[in-house]
Amino acid sequence: MENAVLNLREVRKSYREADGNRLDVIQVRKFELGAGDQIALVGSSGSGKSTLLNLIAGILLPDAGAVCVNGTDITQLPEAKRDRFRAGNIGYVFQSFNLLQGFTALENVRLGQMFGNGTGDAVELLKKVGLEHRLHHKPRALSVGEQQRVAIARALVNAPALVLADEPTGSLDAANGAAVLELLRQVCTAGRHTLLMVTHDPAVMRHFDRVVRLEELR
Amino acid sequence: MNLFKIVTKNMRQRALATTLTGISVALAVALTVAIVHIKRGMQQRFEQSTLGYEMVVGAKGSPLQLVLNTVFNLDISPGNIPWTLVEKLQTDKRVKAAVPFSVGDNYRGFRIIGTTDAFGETFGYKLAEGRWFTCSIEALRDAFKEALEHSQERIAKEKGEGPTKPAAHHHNAAEAVIGATVAKETGLRVGQKFIAAHGVEVSPNAEEHTDNPWTVTGILVPTGTAVDRGLYINLDSFYHIEGHEVRETGKPEEKDNDPDPGQVSAVALKLRSPIHAFPIYREINDGDEAMAAFPAVEVRKLFAIVGNIDRILLAQAILIGLVAGVAIAVSIYNSMSERRREIAILRALGARRGTIFAIVVLEAVAICAVGAIVGVAGGHLIVMVANAALRHVSGFTVAPLTMEMAELWVVAGSIALGALAGIGPAWRAYQTEVAENLAPTS
Repeated sequence: MENAVLNLREVRKSYREADGNRLDVIQVRKFELGAGDQIALVGSSGSGKSTLLNLIAGILLPDAGAVCVNGTDITQLPEAKRDRFRAGNIGYVFQSFNLLQGFTALENVRLGQMFGNGTGDAVELLKKVGLEHRLHHKPRALSVGEQQRVAIARALVNAPALVLADEPTGSLDAANGAAVLELLRQVCTAGRHTLLMVTHDPAVMRHFDRVVRLEELR
Repeated sequence: MNLFKIVTKNMRQRALATTLTGISVALAVALTVAIVHIKRGMQQRFEQSTLGYEMVVGAKGSPLQLVLNTVFNLDISPGNIPWTLVEKLQTDKRVKAAVPFSVGDNYRGFRIIGTTDAFGETFGYKLAEGRWFTCSIEALRDAFKEALEHSQERIAKEKGEGPTKPAAHHHNAAEAVIGATVAKETGLRVGQKFIAAHGVEVSPNAEEHTDNPWTVTGILVPTGTAVDRGLYINLDSFYHIEGHEVRETGKPEEKDNDPDPGQVSAVALKLRSPIHAFPIYREINDGDEAMAAFPAVEVRKLFAIVGNIDRILLAQAILIGLVAGVAIAVSIYNSMSERRREIAILRALGARRGTIFAIVVLEAVAICAVGAIVGVAGGHLIVMVANAALRHVSGFTVAPLTMEMAELWVVAGSIALGALAGIGPAWRAYQTEVAENLAPTS
């Protein structure tokens, strides 16, 4: 695929177990995503979905293979440059939101902006996710749905080419989960952000035209 | 959003630990600043006070006691020297001026010093208002004679003999020029009278010289020296007071026929050239009747002794600072377990390991810097409070608001201590595993 936003080739990741044997967690022969694609990545619990997202984000390094985001093989970048690249090009939405508790909603979004040198309008983004009245509230004063909206705004503040979402509705009730999912898909469509969402929830999968099973990538 | 905001937020989240460790830094800095400030200030005041007093001559004994008594209005007089020695020094060609002093009384705790009108001119003390007292050598000689007659009369009374007829003597008015602090604290003004109490310090049983009030004729310009705390009277008037007979010590009967009974507490010398200092010093000290001392040398010796105590106190303050540094390191290090997730989030958002390291070091530095600034203010507050005690002990106070260069070094040292204390916890933060700390919590 020309101009692939994400391109994985022969990526392998294994861990050494307590008994000294190596456990292969990730084996991806080839996986590509184009600009604006929205894909659900499914797999059983413990199959390595989160590990794959961490490899794509450059938080973990594979034992072998190439992870190219926007044409840059991030496995070849030194750690500091990889961190900077991640901040500017990849947005990450976590299942447990991962907001900093001492910071307000607006400050959490601006934190994302700070490391990515983004010029996006954090207030405008929070308005887009329906939190204009919650800008100066700290996470503990927000509902779980609102917290995940803040996390979505934070992931998008640097206008990343790729958005990774690790079971973003996993901590929400059905109504909130559906609303957050819809919001995430909307903003990614509007901004032509490529969305790769990890889930094991069939209800979530139904929202996606393309669903990829992790096992299929071997 | 910037690093400092993140640091501030972290400090607020750990408000109690931050405050307690900050207080220990502030305490160490306050003590250091106060010690440095008081020592420097006192040394400056003492050195300033010795200016012009090239040599003092007094009764044999402790040179430091002589200097403290003559130049700083402290301690008690080591004894008296004969007036003939004063005259000898006044006519010595190597001596530019020889100013006599007699002490023994106080007014509300401020010392009364009998001297001559050469005192102001010789040492450069100017009047803020009024005029100098009148003092003549004739009046002084008369005062000595009169004092001798009083002595003889007292001895005759003690022996059961009849009173002798006193001769007529010339009296100058009893006048005084007072120091700026005396004027400020006692409220005495030019033209007002005051009554002296016997002794150099306030005592509830002190005898008051009610028959000899002095009139204030002048008030001196503030000098920042011991002179500000003295009342200077014409020397002859000092001997008109009952009890100031010329032989306060010794055996009166042995000196009844002394042709020159005059005695003073000390004499301060200004020399025509510094090359005369050591010959005069040796001549006086080789003789039997007096002792010479260099005020500047004695002050240096005094502060060399004080310096040792000062170093012990400084060492204690530095030790408190080090303990504070360790406390900061331990407190932040322990908080790292709770903050691993936050660090992982920051890393996932794109913060580099170096940035995380800097945030933690900056946190320790900020605690020390804020502690140091509060400590500097606290140190000056201690100086303010200590001034009352300093005034009581030495007669001097230290300007509490002046800044010393050493204070900047103390602040810089505290910041360096903070940086050092932050390295351990920062290294732990630097090594935080991102992926495993981002996993969902139950």
